[in-house]
Amino acid sequence: MRPFELVVPRSLAEASSMAGKGVVYKAAGIDLLDRLKERVEAPEKIVNLLGFRAELARIERSGSTVRIGALATLTQVAEAEVLRGGGFGALLESAGEAATPQVRNRATVGGNLLQQNRCWYFRQAAFGCAHNGRGPGCLAQEGQNRYHAILGQDDCMRVHPSNVAPALQALGASVIVQGGKGERTLPLAELYPKAPDARGAEHTLQPDEILTAIVVPVPGADVRSAYRESREKLSFDWATTAAAVRLAVADGKVRECAIVLGAVAAIPWVAAEAAQSLIGKEPSRANFEAAAKLAFAGARPLAQNAYKVPVGQATLADALEAAARR
Amino acid sequence: MNPRREEHEITVGFAGNAKKIKVKVDDRDLRPWDLETKFQTVGTDQARADGVAKVTGRARYAYDINLPGLLHGLIVRAPIAKGTLKALDLEAAKAMPGVKAVLATKQPGARIRFAGDDVAAIAAETLDAARDAAEKVRMEFTAEPHVTDVLEAPGAPKLDQDGEVTAPWPERGAERIETAIQAARHVRSATYRCEVQTHSSLETHGLTARWYGDRLTVWASTQATFGTRAGLAGTLRIPAENITVHTEFMGGGFGSKFQPGIEGVLACRLAKAADAPVKLMLSRHEEHTCAGNRPGAIIQIRAGVNDDGKITAFDYRCWGEPGFTGQGGGTRAPSDYFRDTARRDTQDNVATDMDAGRAMRAPGWPQGFFATELMLDELAAAIGMDPLEFRLKNDRNEVRLAEWRQGAEAFRWAERRNKTPGQPRAGGDPRWLHGCGLSSAAWGGMGGPGARVTCRIHADARVEVRNGAQDLGTGLKTVLQMLAAEELGIPVAMVTPFVGDTRDPVGPASGGSVTTPTMAPAVRHAAALARRELAARVAAKLGVDAAKVACAGGQVTVEGGQTLSFVDACKLLGSDTVEVVGERFPNHQGYANSVAGCQFAEVRVDRHTGLVQVLDMLAVQDCGTVVARKQAESQTLGAMIQGVSYALHEQRIVDHLTGRMVNGDFLYYKLTGPLDMPAMRAILFPVANGHTNVGAAGIGEPVAVAPAAAIANAVFNAIGVPVRHLPLTPDKILKALARARRV
Ligand SMILES: Cc1cc2nc3c(=O)[nH]c(=O)nc-3n(C[C@H](O)[C@H](O)[C@H](O)COP(=O)(O)OP(=O)(O)OC[C@H]3O[C@@H](n4cnc5c(N)ncnc54)[C@H](O)[C@@H]3O)c2cc1C
Repeated sequence: MRPFELVVPRSLAEASSMAGKGVVYKAAGIDLLDRLKERVEAPEKIVNLLGFRAELARIERSGSTVRIGALATLTQVAEAEVLRGGGFGALLESAGEAATPQVRNRATVGGNLLQQNRCWYFRQAAFGCAHNGRGPGCLAQEGQNRYHAILGQDDCMRVHPSNVAPALQALGASVIVQGGKGERTLPLAELYPKAPDARGAEHTLQPDEILTAIVVPVPGADVRSAYRESREKLSFDWATTAAAVRLAVADGKVRECAIVLGAVAAIPWVAAEAAQSLIGKEPSRANFEAAAKLAFAGARPLAQNAYKVPVGQATLADALEAAARR
Repeated sequence: MNPRREEHEITVGFAGNAKKIKVKVDDRDLRPWDLETKFQTVGTDQARADGVAKVTGRARYAYDINLPGLLHGLIVRAPIAKGTLKALDLEAAKAMPGVKAVLATKQPGARIRFAGDDVAAIAAETLDAARDAAEKVRMEFTAEPHVTDVLEAPGAPKLDQDGEVTAPWPERGAERIETAIQAARHVRSATYRCEVQTHSSLETHGLTARWYGDRLTVWASTQATFGTRAGLAGTLRIPAENITVHTEFMGGGFGSKFQPGIEGVLACRLAKAADAPVKLMLSRHEEHTCAGNRPGAIIQIRAGVNDDGKITAFDYRCWGEPGFTGQGGGTRAPSDYFRDTARRDTQDNVATDMDAGRAMRAPGWPQGFFATELMLDELAAAIGMDPLEFRLKNDRNEVRLAEWRQGAEAFRWAERRNKTPGQPRAGGDPRWLHGCGLSSAAWGGMGGPGARVTCRIHADARVEVRNGAQDLGTGLKTVLQMLAAEELGIPVAMVTPFVGDTRDPVGPASGGSVTTPTMAPAVRHAAALARRELAARVAAKLGVDAAKVACAGGQVTVEGGQTLSFVDACKLLGSDTVEVVGERFPNHQGYANSVAGCQFAEVRVDRHTGLVQVLDMLAVQDCGTVVARKQAESQTLGAMIQGVSYALHEQRIVDHLTGRMVNGDFLYYKLTGPLDMPAMRAILFPVANGHTNVGAAGIGEPVAVAPAAAIANAVFNAIGVPVRHLPLTPDKILKALARARRV
């Protein structure tokens, strides 16, 4: 990596005021350091947020929400007492299965939501593409794309890498961000671009904005959620597809359902129609499989990733079944 | 002058199949150990001699060498896959801060053979300073169209949409095989494929070099200390005796580290140019792309079998994928099934503009065994015969025939095999399909002459054994320690082994699984000489006739007189340390020139997601005399783990537009991890081979031959259709399942 200045701000306001060209925020730095070492990024100044851990790493319930500090680690999330119970299942599972124990013990949930995608073209200095700003187009489109997007692609085939984002989104989470102009709260879905493309950023934060917390509504008593992902191997592998679902069943019928898919599109992918299709139906494997078919109906696989469609369908049906069984 | 020989009658073979043979042994050598030998230490479980140093981080690998004023070296590499270097300007790089030396490794006009070919080298105060400077190297190339997709390369066979070779069988040598194929009751033909696997050694290639005037010392990550010394001497044009190579610890080589390599040579050149020590270790991406690999292969087999299961024809052809050299991509089918079968073996290479293949743990064998063993199961299925029965019918290796039976019983083969391939277990989760498979294993690995070992006995009864070859992680230090202890009749803790310093006696390169079989007889000989010398010294001290004093079983006995413990006998040495050098004599004709083994695997397949999990594996393996049991078992388990990884996960993925590997890391180059590992068992099958005074045979490679084949067969048994292309990733499994549903 290239030399940089590491600054430790005294307050969030100070951190926010330091924003500018060549300045990046660092939480645990797992994602950031990889990029620096690969030299795809060379900031002049790195603002270390970890000093705010005392305030920003707590996980607390207040009233009908749970507030997760952005600097809480994935392990903290996976083990949090206040998140016990079937309603938060998707979140616990997504945080608890990400990466490796070592990574989970350091990685922050905020950093996980804001990490950059893992496209092997995007992340290597040797390759230039429209998204990393060093080339004209998308190299995965005609190149090697077995781990790339199958849904909603525009001119960039990246997939969203976060395990936790689909789960939080399915649970209806919002995020609190603090910037020069003060604090604002936005639904997690709005942290990501609506129409992701090659030229645009992977998230919608302004340069001076810091993610401080994630607020998750406490699910109703009859709500269950689950997260499932497919992999090529069991020890530490990026998901090839992932599904987070929230489900409420009343009188043997699905009353409420949300489905958010991971690793299949450039953003956590909301399968609204599929979720809607289950309302009023019995929570049976057959119905779940039908909904899963619908969720992938618009899939446009690339040359090497057509397998993601059946795998994604199975993974989604599994997640629905797991939630229904809780 | 012919050595004088003594004839010994020894018992060779294995329990239940013992044979007496006469061997003629150099009279300076020892009577070979045989089936009747009773051991005290050999064959027991002993902790690895350097285990504590390794797990506590005290072991210093080449990577860990840090010297005052150490510079960091880096190789500047070509980004194009094929063409010529047109211009090279290093001036801007030389002017960068912290840069101490910059060398061109190619001159304008030189060929670029693959993306990653070396162009220049830089030494700087930090690796980052070297990388900054590398970005200032101005290189221009005349690029030419390259081919990195083996299927697009000249000479590659055309495959149809099912992946089957469409070309006709060759005419050369066709007569006999065609007749046999025509005559066979059942004939099957199929095409198998293996992707390129990289060695993925945890310690990358490279070394640290330091000059003292015209003398050079290097700390190298190598599996051939003496080969590295010779390679450096030849390339740098200095006498070998001016070079010392240290490899006390070694972070994996698997066949890729026999030479100093361009990285090693450049470290030395940079150190000379900068007049300072230089460390140059490859990055992970370079390790994957510039340090060799196990070549991919396209293998087509057609075979004929009779109703009774006898294989009557076996036609094998292979297109290896060895990279830019276009050489060395050959693969090897098992031979013990086909000793009286009409057989043809055709090998071709398909050159691509990629890094050259290198030897990798049983080079060419895992590919050939995968294809052949899967074909055997397909044939067995075609005639409705159990695969084990099919093997017993055709295998002509008497050691393996015994191993098949022992393994099948230990694995409970008959019980566990899926009787209805493609169907879930009755009463089990219908989602998971279970299956069991097996494969033979084979190798040579008897070692040969050319090694020597120093043995010293000190007055405090410490015994030192030394050899300059490396322990590449297989356990050589422990082997030396245990054999010296056995011969001297003392506890292993009293013996300290030293390896990996070329100032000590010469030893082999660790390739072909010869290190233990080559070293073992030499250390035993050294310990025997030391034992005799100790007795002679004791005789002299006590003033008795040397012929009346013997050292054996940890004691020194004076005929008709006193008996001294080993410790008390050593005390008589004073400062007069015993020092002897043992030799490795040539192998004599013994029992079996190869080793045999077999492996069994159980898998389950998720029919929804295509995920394959290996649940259980068993290896039964002969490695001659088992010296260090724990280390031999560990080699076996390690090979199974590497085999699971090869069978299920590992593949080099290349961007064909640029010729650059896209997964040159450990994120997307997938290695099996703890959760993917099966339960594993290694049964060592003792065989007395009588080739040397110890009779050890190699184990590192034979056990690496079978795992992928056994796993592929287990998947076939689980899902009912063969998947003929490694690695067996979910996409391929789902495709096979979909095809099975259609037919
Ligand atoms: C081997 C390995 C395997 C992995 N597997 C998985 C996996 O299976 N699933 C998965 O989801 N992830 C996986 N990851 C990714 C890992 O979870 C993320 O890299 C990690 O969560 C990032 O958190 P961090 O705190 O280190 O973020 P950092 O690296 O510090 O930051 C990441 C990015 O977010 C920005 N940022 C961070 N915090 C804030 C904030 N509070 N406000 C504003 N900007 C901020 C930074 O500027 C940076 O750009 C894996 C990583 C590794 C190394």
